Amino acid sequence: MIELLALLFGLATLAATAWCPPRLTRVLGSLLFALMVGVVSRFAFGVHVALLAAALAAVLALRFFPPLVLRRVVFLVPALVLLIFSTTLLMYRAPGNPFANERATSPQVEAALRAQYGVPKNASAFFGIYMRRLLVEGTLGPSIKVQGRTVEELIAPAFPVSVALGLLALILSVVIGLTLGIFAGLKKNSLADHVSMALALFGVSLPSFVLGAGAMIVFSLWLGWLPVAGWGSLRHLVMPAFALALPNAAIIARLARSGMIEVMQQDFVRTARAKGLPESWVIARHAMRGTLIPVVSFLGPAAAAIMTGSFVVEVLFAVPGMGQWFVKGAINRDYSVVLGTAIVYFGMIILFNLLVDLAYSWLDPRVRSSDA
Amino acid sequence: MLRTLISAFLVIVASLAVVGLTLSASTGRRAELRFVNSTEPKTLDPHLITGEPEGRIAEAIFEGLTRLDAQSLEPVPGVAESWEITPDGKTYTFHIRTGARWSDGHPLTAQDFTYAWRRLQDPSLGAEYAYIMQMVRYSEAFNTHEAQASALEGPIQNALHELGHSSPGAVPDKAVRDFVSKQHLDAVLKGTPNAALRAFLLRGPGELTQGELGVLATELAREGQRRRALYQEAKLHFGIDGGVYAKDEHTLIVELVAPTPYFLALTAFYPAYPVPRWAIEKQTGRNWFLPANIVSNGAFRLAEWSVGSRIHLERSDTYWGRSDVKLRSADALPLENQTTGLNLYLTGEVDWLPQNTYPAELAQDLRKRPDFFIGPALIVYYYRINVTRKPFDDVRVRKALNLAVDRDVITREVLGVGQQSAFRLVPPGIRGYTPPDTGISYDVAQAQKLLADAGFPGGRGFPKFGILYNTLETHKKIAEVIADQLRRNLNIDVSAYNQEWQSYQQSTRSLDYDLSRAAWVGDYEDPNTFLDLFTTNGGNNQTGWSNLVYDRLLEAAGNVEEFVAAPAFILQHASRAPELERLADAVRLNKEAPSRLKVMAELRLELLGEAERILVHDEFPILPVYFYVIGDMVKPKVKGFYTKLRGSDGATRSNLRDLHPLRSIYIDEHPSPRDGAP
Repeated sequence: MIELLALLFGLATLAATAWCPPRLTRVLGSLLFALMVGVVSRFAFGVHVALLAAALAAVLALRFFPPLVLRRVVFLVPALVLLIFSTTLLMYRAPGNPFANERATSPQVEAALRAQYGVPKNASAFFGIYMRRLLVEGTLGPSIKVQGRTVEELIAPAFPVSVALGLLALILSVVIGLTLGIFAGLKKNSLADHVSMALALFGVSLPSFVLGAGAMIVFSLWLGWLPVAGWGSLRHLVMPAFALALPNAAIIARLARSGMIEVMQQDFVRTARAKGLPESWVIARHAMRGTLIPVVSFLGPAAAAIMTGSFVVEVLFAVPGMGQWFVKGAINRDYSVVLGTAIVYFGMIILFNLLVDLAYSWLDPRVRSSDA
Repeated sequence: MLRTLISAFLVIVASLAVVGLTLSASTGRRAELRFVNSTEPKTLDPHLITGEPEGRIAEAIFEGLTRLDAQSLEPVPGVAESWEITPDGKTYTFHIRTGARWSDGHPLTAQDFTYAWRRLQDPSLGAEYAYIMQMVRYSEAFNTHEAQASALEGPIQNALHELGHSSPGAVPDKAVRDFVSKQHLDAVLKGTPNAALRAFLLRGPGELTQGELGVLATELAREGQRRRALYQEAKLHFGIDGGVYAKDEHTLIVELVAPTPYFLALTAFYPAYPVPRWAIEKQTGRNWFLPANIVSNGAFRLAEWSVGSRIHLERSDTYWGRSDVKLRSADALPLENQTTGLNLYLTGEVDWLPQNTYPAELAQDLRKRPDFFIGPALIVYYYRINVTRKPFDDVRVRKALNLAVDRDVITREVLGVGQQSAFRLVPPGIRGYTPPDTGISYDVAQAQKLLADAGFPGGRGFPKFGILYNTLETHKKIAEVIADQLRRNLNIDVSAYNQEWQSYQQSTRSLDYDLSRAAWVGDYEDPNTFLDLFTTNGGNNQTGWSNLVYDRLLEAAGNVEEFVAAPAFILQHASRAPELERLADAVRLNKEAPSRLKVMAELRLELLGEAERILVHDEFPILPVYFYVIGDMVKPKVKGFYTKLRGSDGATRSNLRDLHPLRSIYIDEHPSPRDGAP
């Protein structure tokens, strides 16, 4: 009951941040930004550097940050706390617990383990311990199922792997998707359009594990061009990157096509043509930006998802990325791993949404003027 | 336009640089032997290991007093170069070899074992496998008695007090039974010599007067004190001057509660490995076994552990027997996708696919290959029957279910790689063990008759029930087949349903199911490892079934001498009493040490056979389905890998436990074409 009230209070606070007056936003946003910088840099450089960095961040934010960013920060911190709290509640609601083994654990042993790993039987108590860890001790806590390692030690080597693979996949999907989509949009209802869209449909409908397994059979077993699975060279990256990229490329292609069709009917395109500009210039200089807007809004969350790893692709190609921890954390009820991965994912979503907003104002003059 | 192109180009270059940096950070030389190790080990602390993937690594980097010979799986000298056993089979003197060293150069001494074995039993460590070494004197008291004493003095007394208050007159039978099961009294009082408490546990149905309640409270408190005293004594002596202790640096004395025929095989098992005290105590978290911190004593050392990528082992240059170890290095790959594992094997990236690391549904095709080895395993697949629910509390119903399942359909049609239908619990092939008569077969007519006798003629009135399995395709197929057979043969309404692993465990543990799927892998080659499951309130019983004679038989098998001294209770209930009596007499009359021990071992297996008979001939708390087979895929160049074993007596048999010590494996890059046994 108290937990439910706390949850409602959290949601109310979160909603209230929208009406936060500008001056308060500036002060509060700077302070919270300093807190974030402090906590994050503590993981990397220790307490002293973190304090310094936090002070610096506060001053910088107060003086130079645009209101758009500061409003984001004011929203972000309570949202993160709420995320941790509600995830904790959900985890504790799920049947089982991290100490359940195939062989029954005696109550004494379980109590000893709970004390050692800081996992009390009560969700709110765990939330308290976890926040303390995060803010005071500067750790994401020990993993319960992967003994001897903290969550940051699990994520630290896996995150760059997922980012690297994700970046590659992202580039591939944008290049393939935009090419197909723009081409199809320009030649609406031609044979080329139908072929591109059929390809896109194919890409959307085929799950990446089917695509990946098929590619494995063709390129590794039959042709012997690429290694089956593993990590360590560019050749290892090719198949997983394509398997991750193609479904996204297909979505991008469809978005780009409809965007292109819509933009080509706009007044400013007609104006550009009337000015006598060559068609290629009209497309590249004027139509392109409008086409990109729906693609960019899709890319924000998609980039966050793709760079935090895909469990299916990682397992299939034995890639030591981060996707595995989302799934294993949940299956094992490894509470601190679940929270750690959730926080990283949250951070990526926020980061990419911010980038998307910045990209909007660059792509669309209307957004720019309304924001100033 | 140009600016946009340049910035896009720069973004791409920067991204590729990130990719390149990440890749260059993760290189490592490929090992001589690479094998798939189904999942990432949870730990490499020998005392906390429970699974096969962990066991394979621990077995390579640590070594116990004995080790198992790769070709015969019989115990041979490990850290101990020799040992003596007293004629009564209860005291072992191990002589630690002087050349034994830890990987940091420390000499390995008898004290390392006393520390390790005490640590294994330390209640604060919470080692799951502590029980497996509890034939060592003091260890059980040290491991369990303090917690039991606290329960007896605290919560149990309180519950008893409440019980007295809740009913002013006599306490009804049901309340008493609830109290016993809720407080796990059978487990807490395990092995008590207190006559009053033993009688209480065995009592028939009936009320309990307030006076009896008072006596019970006193006796329970007394038992609590007794256990606390035993714990204090064990704490004072165990690992110091009793149970296991060092006579000097190179002499280790082990005292057992009762002679244990398989003890020398247990000392080769990971719970009995020595661990480095100084390395463990230097770390605060449970991380002494990570590559940067670990000190070990086996044939290999842990050179690298990249989570999700590989565990890299290298031949140790401090191991006493390093001149016998031919393999220079090994990679264990944690691969959870079985198809990927198989593809890696087919393209030559890995050399060994152990059981469960390739897709089971392809086994029928794979078995035709010359590099696929298949053999029986010490694993049983069975269904638990929840005897606390109606109508499964009726033994006729349980037997009817057992008789109505045609297991051959499952082994032939669903599995089809040579699995055997199970009509008992203990898998075949254990040396010296004669399986008992079983009441299980495929006999629909008799099943229908039993169901009618139980009050459900033609299946009428039988409540709808469910078969619970944990989410997995094979379990699903089997559950559907069994549900279908029960439906058709008995005309009852059955459905199969699944839960993911954690929920499934919670359901089975809290007895929230009707029938549930289970399997058990034998920890050592002895029927005890299976029969132990079904003792009253055993942690893995999970059927609610409890049988006094069964419990007594297992106790007797654990301490044959005690049985020989007081055999009356068991003889009264045993099906083969004359045989047991003959063997007991033989033990009593025979004072010659070796032959006496031999007869005792025979008697012990006979007692276990009696226990199994109760399960599969009289009581049916389970429905055995099939016995597993193991299949490994191994490249011809991998030598020293034995799927068929040759014992010291010259007889060949199967490698029931699928153990392949890396110590004896070597690579022959130019193998001669198939020379029979690899």
